[in-house]
Amino acid sequence: MSKEVFSQISPSEFFYRNRDLAGFSNPTRSLYTSVREFVENALDACDHRKILPDIHLSIKAVDPEQADPKHYILTVKDNGPGIDPEHIPLAFGTVLYGSKFGLKQARGMFGLGATMAILYGQITTNKPVTVKSCSDGKSLDEFVMLLDIQKNKPVIQKHTTKEASKTGLTVSIVLEGDYSKAGSKIRDYVYQTSLITPYASITFEDPAGEKFHYARIVKDMPRPPTVIKPHPHGIDVETIRRMITDTHYQIPAIDNKMIDKVKKELGLKKNLSPKEILERAQKRWSDISKPVRTVISVMSFLNIDFEGLQKIRIDDIDVANKTITYWDFGESQSHAVELSPDSPYYKQIASTVQGDTLLTFLTKRFQRVGPTTAEKFCEFAKFKPDKRIGSMTNEELVKLADALQKFEEFLSPDPSCLAPLGEEPLSKGIMKFFNPEFAAVWQRNASAYSGFPFVVEMGIAYGGDIPPNGLKVYRFANRIPLLYDEGSDVVLKIVNETEWARYKIKGDPPLVIVSHICSTRIPYKTVGKENVADRPEIERELKNALQYLARKLAVHMSRQGAADMAKKRANLYSKYVPLIAQFATELAGKKKEPNYNQLIRMGSEIEEQV
Amino acid sequence: MRLKNKSNAKTAETRKKRLLSMLEQQGLSIYENLDKGKFPQFVIPSRSVSNIVYDKKIRQYILGSASAVRSSRNMSQLRSYTQLAWLAFFVNRLVREGKSSTLRDIYYSSQAFSIDFEDQPESDNIIVDLEAVLTSPREEFHIFPEERSSVFGDLTIEYTVPGYEGKRMNLSDHPDGYLIGPSLSSAELVDTSAELVIAIEKGGLFTRFVEEKVHQKFKAIIVDTAGQAPRSTRNLLRRLNNEMGLPVVILADGDVYGEHIAMVIKSGSANAAHLRELTVPDAKWLGVWATDIEKYKLPTIPMTESDIKRIYDLQKDPRYQEGNWKKQLEVFLKLKRKAELEAFSKYGLTNITDKYLPAKLEESKSF
Ligand SMILES: Nc1ncnc2c1ncn2[C@@H]1O[C@H](COP(=O)(O)OP(=O)(O)O)[C@@H](O)[C@H]1O
Ligand SMILES: [Mg+2]
Repeated sequence: MSKEVFSQISPSEFFYRNRDLAGFSNPTRSLYTSVREFVENALDACDHRKILPDIHLSIKAVDPEQADPKHYILTVKDNGPGIDPEHIPLAFGTVLYGSKFGLKQARGMFGLGATMAILYGQITTNKPVTVKSCSDGKSLDEFVMLLDIQKNKPVIQKHTTKEASKTGLTVSIVLEGDYSKAGSKIRDYVYQTSLITPYASITFEDPAGEKFHYARIVKDMPRPPTVIKPHPHGIDVETIRRMITDTHYQIPAIDNKMIDKVKKELGLKKNLSPKEILERAQKRWSDISKPVRTVISVMSFLNIDFEGLQKIRIDDIDVANKTITYWDFGESQSHAVELSPDSPYYKQIASTVQGDTLLTFLTKRFQRVGPTTAEKFCEFAKFKPDKRIGSMTNEELVKLADALQKFEEFLSPDPSCLAPLGEEPLSKGIMKFFNPEFAAVWQRNASAYSGFPFVVEMGIAYGGDIPPNGLKVYRFANRIPLLYDEGSDVVLKIVNETEWARYKIKGDPPLVIVSHICSTRIPYKTVGKENVADRPEIERELKNALQYLARKLAVHMSRQGAADMAKKRANLYSKYVPLIAQFATELAGKKKEPNYNQLIRMGSEIEEQV
Repeated sequence: MRLKNKSNAKTAETRKKRLLSMLEQQGLSIYENLDKGKFPQFVIPSRSVSNIVYDKKIRQYILGSASAVRSSRNMSQLRSYTQLAWLAFFVNRLVREGKSSTLRDIYYSSQAFSIDFEDQPESDNIIVDLEAVLTSPREEFHIFPEERSSVFGDLTIEYTVPGYEGKRMNLSDHPDGYLIGPSLSSAELVDTSAELVIAIEKGGLFTRFVEEKVHQKFKAIIVDTAGQAPRSTRNLLRRLNNEMGLPVVILADGDVYGEHIAMVIKSGSANAAHLRELTVPDAKWLGVWATDIEKYKLPTIPMTESDIKRIYDLQKDPRYQEGNWKKQLEVFLKLKRKAELEAFSKYGLTNITDKYLPAKLEESKSF
């Protein structure tokens, strides 16, 4: 999607084109999705700045008397960092503005969520969005805005500023929704979000005024994810092409702005001769930026000063034929100059035009690739290590992408971009939510599928306050609960394939499983992002985690079984032996009961008979 | 007048004494075990199919030598062990106090002693266990089923139940007959002028027989078995045969069930194989035989699937392997039709007593 496309269509058109993809297919789903987008934005913002989240969500009917679907006011308030006032119109009034594009785990992904919700509200109710934000702890800015998609920019209806004492952001929209249908899902969502975000305090006030409050369970924030370079297994031809044509591999456009930049970096006030310029540049070479170096190199070959530079246009730099072709506006004719490899500036030009060598490209632009691995790879892929990536043909690019996928000696992806919750918070959350008789959690080591790192963490809980209604699975991905489309999910597949009887679990057990998959890219099965596809690598990790936990549960069950049995024995013998004594005494025609205490003790102690 | 043969038969009183002493033995054994810190147990003859055998000599099903131990040492048996101990204790009270009880009563009585039976089948089973342990029918424990059959004829009995001890009674005084209940079952049989006992399957026919004065014409005591004879009724038939020396004949419907009613009176049922006081080995099955259906041109109705299946089942029973029993089953199977006792009414209401009964009694002298 490019900007040109937006500028030609109306807001509603844009919305309707993307509504299914973004989860706004009907009033029920839209209300639910809007809640998610705002709550997840608030959590993302707090996570990012290591602020313990305090989130208030409220849904109020505009006219409670009316029947569903009807207009609702949806408000989400957080204690996060807020947004600078100048960025608010951008963040909430434009499509594809987001701060989370980098390669790291986050809930939101494409800078689309909040805007879609706002747009949906605007289209269904014609009401503006209200954003209140305080980012400095001193002043609070309130914006009331309508979105103009043609211009991809908001129309600000009102902007006021007042004093404040805490940072945070509140966003409020009016939208058409169906709470009678969406209510249970929204409550589930809030409940499950609290489970996987035990460091947050979340309050939800529903349209009837009922409050659901989930207090903070742990006070430590999990380690935040870092932004990282891509792993070679995780990229395709398109990505490589984008990486190669990145700006710093191009000859910069030499306009007035560029010339000013060069002068500034060289610290020049007056015009100098070409020779003097080169001398000055030599002295500062290590301090000046790459584009400036390139411009200076060009000047060295053309032997011109700034005045001359303004009069020409570089047409072609042909490294293979060692010529630079340029157009002289003054003379209105084309010139060709030799690009001598002997010049100290040759390398600068050549590497700029042709990009880095393959070796450098691999080590600099990817994670987990050192010089040795890169060389091994070149051998494997049958490329010369000093091949300039800018000189690769289309076919070579395809070959390269293919080889990157297949080479097996790359180290597995760096998981530092992942943010699992961690065993302790997960375990505390589970204890607090289910108050189980037994619980265990396990965070697996990071693993990867197709170059995307992922981590599986899982918890199991049994008995206690869990109702004996059979196994219940709570699924999470990147700290988001997955509530829809349970049937085809990989986690459920693994759980259902487990032979629970082997772990001493029978019937409708009071059993809960919490599964959390973190990845820079969750392989969702559908655009609805509700179920995870079964990649063999992910399946294996899930299976290992579940088996480990199930075994722990089995140990508990047999220990519990033995303890229960002993208790049961003791109860039975203390109940029945006195009765037997009473009956026997009368039957035998005796007055005094026999001394049976020894037998009760023995009965309680002996091993179970076969 | 035929007087009771006291020297030969066990009287109600001696049977009661024997039972009470067995109960006391059980009690003493449990008591001593408890005192010594040992786990008491009951030895119960096994009633599993593999341990039920047909004894040709005494002509009834009996239990083999296998037995099971119900031990208080085994946690899973502790509850049923206690139930059994309770029942022995409760029966001891019933018999000593001369009170009677029903199967259902037992189920409820247990609750007063924190012995909970899950349902009546569970308590019924424990009663059978005690029968097996003491080799005595539950009627001797003063426990009776709800269903009752009746008796009519010149028989004088003497009650032993509390409040009636020594009181005598003649069973021809009331034309509806007398319920074979606890007090009649525990009564002493004093004397009779009868020379024959006729057991008849159906209440309707029983009434007809009384009306037709069969008891006088044939010098008979008439017993209504009300279908498959309850154990108290079989016990009475046995006593009439044993103690009073009266032959017993049986009239039942002309079908496979009728034939088996006669067989059970004669030689017992598999589920009472643990008991020996319930059979009348010399009893005779008068009819209605399958061959009678043709011979007396009785109106018939077709057999059902289950009738036919029942024939096949009985053909596997060792008692049906020879003689008339075997032959009649085969004829039934061939006819695939059956006739009820009422079928004789086609030839007049008194046809059965005037014609059929004398004919069959005559015939019975030869088998
Ligand atoms: N509650 C908030 N606090 C601070 N910043 C926010 C908040 N909500 C949204 N933002 C900013 O607005 C941007 C756009 O949000 P959104 O349209 O939902 O896209 P995405 O979440 O996919 O990045 C976010 O990337 C973030 O920088
Ligand atoms: Mg978002």
